[in-house]
Amino acid sequence: MDLFSFGNVIVYVNKLIKFINSIFFVILIIGLSFALIFSPVDYLQGDTVRIMYVHVPSAWIGISIFSLIAISSILNFVFKIKNLFLIVKSLAPIGLLFTCLSIVTGSLWGKPTWGTWWAWDARLTSMFMLMVFYILFIFSFKYFKNKEYLPKILTALSILGIINIPIIKYSVEWWSTLHQPASIKFTGTSSIHSSMLIPLFLMLLALLLYCALIFLMKYKTEIIKIKKQNIKRL
Amino acid sequence: MIIEFLQMGGYGFFVWASFFIVTVSCLFLYYRARKTLKKYEKEFVKELESLPIKHKKRITKSSKVIGSILASQNKLS
Repeated sequence: MDLFSFGNVIVYVNKLIKFINSIFFVILIIGLSFALIFSPVDYLQGDTVRIMYVHVPSAWIGISIFSLIAISSILNFVFKIKNLFLIVKSLAPIGLLFTCLSIVTGSLWGKPTWGTWWAWDARLTSMFMLMVFYILFIFSFKYFKNKEYLPKILTALSILGIINIPIIKYSVEWWSTLHQPASIKFTGTSSIHSSMLIPLFLMLLALLLYCALIFLMKYKTEIIKIKKQNIKRL
Repeated sequence: MIIEFLQMGGYGFFVWASFFIVTVSCLFLYYRARKTLKKYEKEFVKELESLPIKHKKRITKSSKVIGSILASQNKLS
């Protein structure tokens, strides 16, 4: 367990920050070049398809981070692992940012393709609900300082919020929505050409590296906060 | 050719606005996270400086966290 002590963790954090800084811009520039220049225009949507390269990774990241936060909160409630609490606190703002970005870029994609900025259809509404859950999470951290109640509130929000995740995923199949069904399937054949799939994964990788960088910075801040409180006892 | 690229087949506003919003938001969150980290590092060092020298030396030697914070603060100054 000494491997996960704050002293050892901060050494890995510093090394990881350096590593991400060294490769991030190269991957971002390659990803942006493919997304904006080299990837083909869609036969139906024209150049608006390029919005996909920021919209889809943002949505995936928003959903994945919430799943991670929810599982960590429940595990923290059961096993009382302090590190998990710090992880949840550091991840929540990143998840909120990417959920908001997926909604805004989706709206900018919706106007030229559907003719409207917003519709209360199942996919859009469930993504909006995800954003609300993130806001509730962040508000809980800010306004509930009582260490006894906070894990209970976070667990309750996690259980309610995690129900929303399969609704987001299957909303386009369960209901008739404006939003198109998934083109990328992890099990089965995807209906998207590799000339579009490669830039999509490059942009996903660039944004994931960005998320990791912000997470590590926030996590390090949380460790310093704890050490600062205990400095006189060291 | 450049104008054509910027126009994005008539959808330039939607495409560029999407990429612009993502870039600005990511830069903002990075700036906020970095600023907060540096603020707490500085406050931590200040608090460390206020400790008696013996105590300070002992914990600086024994704690990796403190060593790492001091190293990043030295890089800044």
